[in-house]
Amino acid sequence: MPEDSEIIEQIVDRYDGDDGMLIPMMQDLQAESGYLPADQLRCLGRHLRLPLSRLYAVATFYSSFRLAPKGAHEVTLCMGTVCYLKGSASISEAITREFQVEPGGTTRDRLFSFQAVNCMGACAVAPVMTVDGKYYNGVSPASALEILYGLTKEHVTADKEEQT
Amino acid sequence: MPTVTIDGCEVKVKRDATILDAARKAGIWIPTLCYHPAVPSEATCRLCMVELDRGEWKQLVTACNYPVRRDIVVYVSSERAKKARRGVMELLLARAPESQELKALAERMGVKGTPYPNVTDSQRNCILCGLCVQVCEQIIGKAAISFAGRGAERTVAAPFRQPSEDCIGCGACAAICPVGTIKVRLHKEQQEVEISPFKSRVKLLVCQECGTPIVSSEVSEQVLRKSQIDWQEFRELLRLCPKCRRSQTSARLRAASVYK
Amino acid sequence: MTELGIKRFSSLVELEGMREKLLNSRSASAKSIHVCTGPGCVAKGSFKLYEIFCAAVEGAGSDVQVQAKCVGCHGFCERGPIVVIEPGGIFYQRVEEPDVAEIFRETVLGGRVVERLLYEDPNTGKKVEKANEIPFYKVQERIALSGNGLLDPTEISDYIAEGGYTALAKVLSPMTPEEVISEVELSGLRGRGGGGFPTGRKWRSCRQAEGSPKYVICNGDEGDPGAFMDRCIMEGNPHSVIEGMLIGAYAIGSEHGYIYVRNEYPLSVERLKNAVAQAKELGLVGETILGSSFSFDIRINRGGGAFVCGESTALMASLEGRPGEPRAKYVHTVESGFRGKPTNLNNVETWANIPHIINRGGKWFAGIGTEKSKGTKVFSLVGNVVNTGLVEVPMGITMRRIIDEIGGGIRDGKRFKAVQTGGPSGGCIPAEHLDARVDFEELTKLGSMMGSGGMIVMDEETCMVRVAKYFTDFLQKESCGKCTPCREGLAQMLYILDRITDGEGQVGDIERLEELGGLLEGTALCALGKTAANPVISTIRYFRDEYDAHILDGRCPAKECRGLFRYEIDPEACNGCGICLKNCPADAITGEKKVPHVINQEKCTLCGTCWEKCPFTAVLKV
Repeated sequence: MPEDSEIIEQIVDRYDGDDGMLIPMMQDLQAESGYLPADQLRCLGRHLRLPLSRLYAVATFYSSFRLAPKGAHEVTLCMGTVCYLKGSASISEAITREFQVEPGGTTRDRLFSFQAVNCMGACAVAPVMTVDGKYYNGVSPASALEILYGLTKEHVTADKEEQT
Repeated sequence: MPTVTIDGCEVKVKRDATILDAARKAGIWIPTLCYHPAVPSEATCRLCMVELDRGEWKQLVTACNYPVRRDIVVYVSSERAKKARRGVMELLLARAPESQELKALAERMGVKGTPYPNVTDSQRNCILCGLCVQVCEQIIGKAAISFAGRGAERTVAAPFRQPSEDCIGCGACAAICPVGTIKVRLHKEQQEVEISPFKSRVKLLVCQECGTPIVSSEVSEQVLRKSQIDWQEFRELLRLCPKCRRSQTSARLRAASVYK
Repeated sequence: MTELGIKRFSSLVELEGMREKLLNSRSASAKSIHVCTGPGCVAKGSFKLYEIFCAAVEGAGSDVQVQAKCVGCHGFCERGPIVVIEPGGIFYQRVEEPDVAEIFRETVLGGRVVERLLYEDPNTGKKVEKANEIPFYKVQERIALSGNGLLDPTEISDYIAEGGYTALAKVLSPMTPEEVISEVELSGLRGRGGGGFPTGRKWRSCRQAEGSPKYVICNGDEGDPGAFMDRCIMEGNPHSVIEGMLIGAYAIGSEHGYIYVRNEYPLSVERLKNAVAQAKELGLVGETILGSSFSFDIRINRGGGAFVCGESTALMASLEGRPGEPRAKYVHTVESGFRGKPTNLNNVETWANIPHIINRGGKWFAGIGTEKSKGTKVFSLVGNVVNTGLVEVPMGITMRRIIDEIGGGIRDGKRFKAVQTGGPSGGCIPAEHLDARVDFEELTKLGSMMGSGGMIVMDEETCMVRVAKYFTDFLQKESCGKCTPCREGLAQMLYILDRITDGEGQVGDIERLEELGGLLEGTALCALGKTAANPVISTIRYFRDEYDAHILDGRCPAKECRGLFRYEIDPEACNGCGICLKNCPADAITGEKKVPHVINQEKCTLCGTCWEKCPFTAVLKV
């Protein structure tokens, strides 16, 4: 796959081929492909002269990496202490129950990938959920499900707000 | 040379030798699992805990990687050190309840069973000491396996949990495994060697005389790459199994009438 | 940087000249609109406010001297989005999009105050115009956060105009590295990342260590749930961190720096990258800085999502492109750290304090705080407290003052139960110790720790066993799994805690938890593992009765643990509206219209829907 190889070369050059920058490189690669396909990891490993096992170890150690394709939307639920105290566990349970998706997984119809993260640093407005980068503050199990049911209907990426 | 006083017994060691080195020199036994002289100590199993006297307080340290840089006083058989080692062993027994090697070590330590249930099962009977990963990368130079995942989900695996593309079937991982979890299996009919539980299979060179497996073909190539051996001579050497080579040699000698 | 009209400073004089030029160009009458872009305000849409203000500025024409700028977190997140109008410091809170036009018309153009957007002091009922008159800010003393709310973090000229990089200039001439270290030692500054190791002593050991190159690292892997201090500094005043690192590098003798930022903070990465690029362009980072012989380069690295990378050796492994697994620290990182070379690592807040210490002197800094804990500490005050947000207070202040005076007490008139400090491996401190002074030693004595500065307030309805379980679960998931006690011990502890919160606790469970806690503390490899049992041990220490209630009586006193309490309908309060009946997924509620309803306990699945939905709070937990 020449295209893949080109993308990977660009990424490697972006960090001067410094293998200490492996994590940012893999993040850039994931941003390109949505996940980390085995062939691309193999190719990146060859460029950096690193064994595939090292890349695999890194990919499975850090929670931001995905080895399988993600859904059309990205749903992130904060499980930080404050969000937890304000009920994010029951939101997570509700999502798992209604959409048959565990945190870290993707719904079977690839509608959305569901991630539970530690703390998004927006504790003042807990519990917090983001969909494709858009913040929803003070969500409850019911309102979270409502937002996600909205996705089913829309099937287009929600407006990406100008935020992190 | 700094002096290490272990349970009252004095022994001198080189600077940066470990407490374990000192203990072995003094003939004092400290149980270990993840320690192997072939690779640097990572101190993952925490079984070799001993108590270090810091004057104002005493600190538990791992003997296998604590570097001796000045005169120190260490207790191996203090209550606290024994309790720490027992606690670690109990956790390991809960994790790998079927390992005979582990049970034997526990018995030698005087630990009779574990009060804990088996709650972590990411990899059966593996204590995740990492010696296999280290030997494969640092000694064999292949890095066919690595740790995968983290925390209670941690395992040792080949990339993507598929049979490894880099495994040469040398069996060093099985040889170094302290709890007997990694096994080398011969598949005579297919002339293959399998490293379990990593599922990797490698073709074997077999004796051209009797068909006995000699060594994996990949291993022979790795040896050639890493050493100065003449490849023609080496290939010739690998044509026969040791038994057939002996009988051929003796036949040749007999023919040359050396022992008349 | 065209605005500055200079490409690169080649001397200290040029930097000073630029500062004067910048200050002169700013007319005293010019208005400035400061829109908070801290994480809390951004989550409430402050970027949009900024855009609308910008459009308003543009529409006002060139004869009106006004600028809109996004600034770092003001701290009072509870009341966000926050907009401050300078000069005058008029503090508007909970600003929404429709308010922008009014603020612009009335305050910016007309010089009048919009009363309804001001903060109302709950004690006096009076509207307050300026930030420093608000109780939330009164008790605070801001050093590390001093630039937040004031500077545009994307513009180096703002930082320079406010005296930025004067500390660097002072260090390069006429201070020697030894003098810099002595000044930091004199200040008594201790690491703000958790350990509290004296910063000056660390620098000295690193300077004296053999080997080269030497590395300087900034730990921006703020992983504690409930903490966002470092994020707000990186995003609100990135140059203060960079200047601190430059000073540290000069003192230690390092030419290579790294900032390791948590993956969850993309805006921090962006702001830092931008700041480093600007500083490079001006010759403040890179080769022969300000015309001196000192060179220092900074690279920004992102984490991959692993809490353990906040531990220094794990962070270094991650910087080397490996899984973030800690290693033994019997040989210190100042001797052998990143790539096996002498490495000095400090966290964001520590670095941000350095320029102030150099500018105002170590003696000044040492004058703040307690005997062994000097200066101020930033906390993120969150949980069941009225005023959540970011606060910076002098060390030695009591917990009670932080919670009552700054935090405004407990939300919804409930009672205080505990405050959790020190992040997930910290501990819970109960009401009887609220008058304890906040410093490194005191918190440790109470079974908690300073940590990086999370402060989570919990009210009477919080089950402490569940809190312990939450943190244990968190740590168990975040443990790297390298060493036996942390990996296996936490799994065993979680197993027992699960059992207790499910109502199946056994006599002896508490003792077993204590034993495992002791084992972790003594034998785990890194600080994460050694302190991982703190949440359990500290809750057993102060809230043992709650554990006993779960285990012995099958009862959750806070009524949080499902199965350890029941839902019942109060016939006095119920007017038979039928909402609960309609919403019950298990058809467990019966009753005629306008007649008090009843829950069939056998059918009830304890989902809590009726409790959530009842408009008359007639559903009770008993």
